[in-house]
Amino acid sequence: MVAANAAARQLGITAGDSLAGALAVAPALELLEHDPDQARQLLTEVATWASAFTPAISIDPPDCVLLEVAASLQLFGGLQRLTALITRGLAELGLDARLACAPTPLAARWLARHRPGSAITETGALAQPLGALPLAALADGSDVSRAALELLGSIGVARLAEVAELPRGGLARRQAATVSTTLDRAFGRQPDPRPRFDLPQRYHARLPLLVPTERSDTLIFLARRLLPGLAGWLAGRHAGVDRFRFSLEHEGRHPATRLEIVCAAPSRDEAAFALLLNEHLGRHAFPGPVDALVLEADHPVALAAVATDLFDDTSLKRESAQLLLARLRARLGDEAIRALSPLADHRPERAWRLVPPGSNQPPVALADAPRPLWLLAEPKQLTHPGQLRLIGGPERIESGWWDDHDVRRDYFVAETPEGGRWWIFRELEAPRGWYLHGFFA
Amino acid sequence: MSAASAPLSLADLPGDLVWRGRRFNGTPPQGHPTGHGALDAVLPGGGWPTGALIELFTARPGIGELSLLLPMMRRCTADRWLGWVAPPRQPYAPALAAAGVPLERLLWVAPASPAEALWATRQCLASGGCSMVLSWLGKADMAALRRLQLAAEESRTPLFLFRPASAAQQPSPAVLRLRLEDAHGQLAVHVFKRRGPLLDEPVLIQPRPPIDARPALVAAPVPRAQVHPIRQPATAPAKQHLPVQQAAVSSTPSPTLVTHAVVRPDPARARAPGDPARIA
Repeated sequence: MVAANAAARQLGITAGDSLAGALAVAPALELLEHDPDQARQLLTEVATWASAFTPAISIDPPDCVLLEVAASLQLFGGLQRLTALITRGLAELGLDARLACAPTPLAARWLARHRPGSAITETGALAQPLGALPLAALADGSDVSRAALELLGSIGVARLAEVAELPRGGLARRQAATVSTTLDRAFGRQPDPRPRFDLPQRYHARLPLLVPTERSDTLIFLARRLLPGLAGWLAGRHAGVDRFRFSLEHEGRHPATRLEIVCAAPSRDEAAFALLLNEHLGRHAFPGPVDALVLEADHPVALAAVATDLFDDTSLKRESAQLLLARLRARLGDEAIRALSPLADHRPERAWRLVPPGSNQPPVALADAPRPLWLLAEPKQLTHPGQLRLIGGPERIESGWWDDHDVRRDYFVAETPEGGRWWIFRELEAPRGWYLHGFFA
Repeated sequence: MSAASAPLSLADLPGDLVWRGRRFNGTPPQGHPTGHGALDAVLPGGGWPTGALIELFTARPGIGELSLLLPMMRRCTADRWLGWVAPPRQPYAPALAAAGVPLERLLWVAPASPAEALWATRQCLASGGCSMVLSWLGKADMAALRRLQLAAEESRTPLFLFRPASAAQQPSPAVLRLRLEDAHGQLAVHVFKRRGPLLDEPVLIQPRPPIDARPALVAAPVPRAQVHPIRQPATAPAKQHLPVQQAAVSSTPSPTLVTHAVVRPDPARARAPGDPARIA
């Protein structure tokens, strides 16, 4: 048994029991397999997420992440608010955490385990709370051996304060010198450097589902748990991404469903990501129940820090314009979202092209003759051209013999009896038919 | 009784004491100028209302219904879109560019179904990312129109909804409803619903640039343009496929003739001298 929850502890089961013993006490016990790999991954995920708060992070296996927050207090409005932020953020990730703050990493770790919620900022204030900790705390996260603990227990020591009073020389003679050095590190009398956690180049997070499901609302809810980690990774790099991959792994032999989610502009806004994910998941049909979600991102793009000006909402407006584009694209597809650009060609049907919205417009010399606001995709042959009255033209357009889209036409502006203004042309080649090509709307 | 002998005329009364039927109640919020003075004069707020559903009813295309909105489109700011949702035909880029519409802000949404068109229109409004939205919805029921009106109001974005003339009979929550008709080359705007008293006369405006009237019947022979292309010298046949030369134009039959031509080289002239003619 690696861990037991509150209900299990009430039945008398504690971490460290053997499986057979535990089942004998409570036959209805629900067992979950402990996966050390998954635990390690989870710590990496938490560390990545926490990089939004401080650049100095260290993973302290098997169950602890250390953040050096002294330099971040000013930015986040004090220790209390920072703690609240971290607790809330971890809850959003679906994690239940114990937090404690102390001037040394070992003391912080011990306090988090035995006195969660402690907030000590001075080395001098450590003696009392650390001294009250039970002897077993000493072995937590340090290299104090089991034999040394047993030795201390056998001489009747129960609290760390009593350990601290033991003579150094005596401990050293009894192969228990590590006890003194561990205490020195915890009280800040010896340096305790920790390996620094480096942010990964690519972001990868995987969330296995306890109960496979294909309900999109459940999946959307669970998928949101992965987003804070991505946002934290990006915040730690001062960057944003314009696309990320979201995969749904299926039970059995089905290949994973992969969604490529594209944002209109690089962003690290969790809410924007969630909206896009909603759109994608909501319209997707899955081949079978999903048993894990994977979120991957790479190629972060540096983002300028957002100036939070009270009176200037132009950046906000631009953001919402970009977000609109991304939402429309996600639901309707890339090819349904377009814009226009004129091209330098005399042939009316080739004097424009589709471009993505927001593209720069090249300067193009425009014809000085009138052009209609609506153009028909295909010219429509006129059956009764005699009803029309010509009010402008002719404009001869003769071009394109080199690319097999030869055009030889005389264009006119014509008025219909009902008052519509049309753009019509007459072929120069036999049979010299009349065609409608656009409307002066 | 000399005072009673001269009857009071309505115009002599102080304006703040007499309420007249033609006046707007209260001061409507300032609107966006339409660019057409005669229309501004009859619209509450002196222009298109900010944040409202505006319905435009047209029976047929080509009477100037888009030109009416061009002055408003020109004012699209650089940080917001000019939304066109489900236009029934291709908007023509050269004409829009010539009219001064900022094409780099154009957002043409081409949804696959009417339901998606409605959704896209609402997104354009709700996001606040559009300075104005033009939408062509096939059918829209009262509930859909009400949602659009609410979305427009909340985001303070004007929505211009183009609808067939037959739909004008339906009740609608739109703030402004206009029927557009042609009146001898001008555009007659019937404002049949506005926040204010009824208006019985249409407003005549000229949204399109005038075209040189040169009456000619189609039955009459079309004047032939005369094109004098500048050709490559016959000694350079390799360059003949390139459209290197723009035709020079000299037209006599009509003063309004404009010619754009890049003319196919004459195969007979393209041959090197002395090369025997091949007979097809």
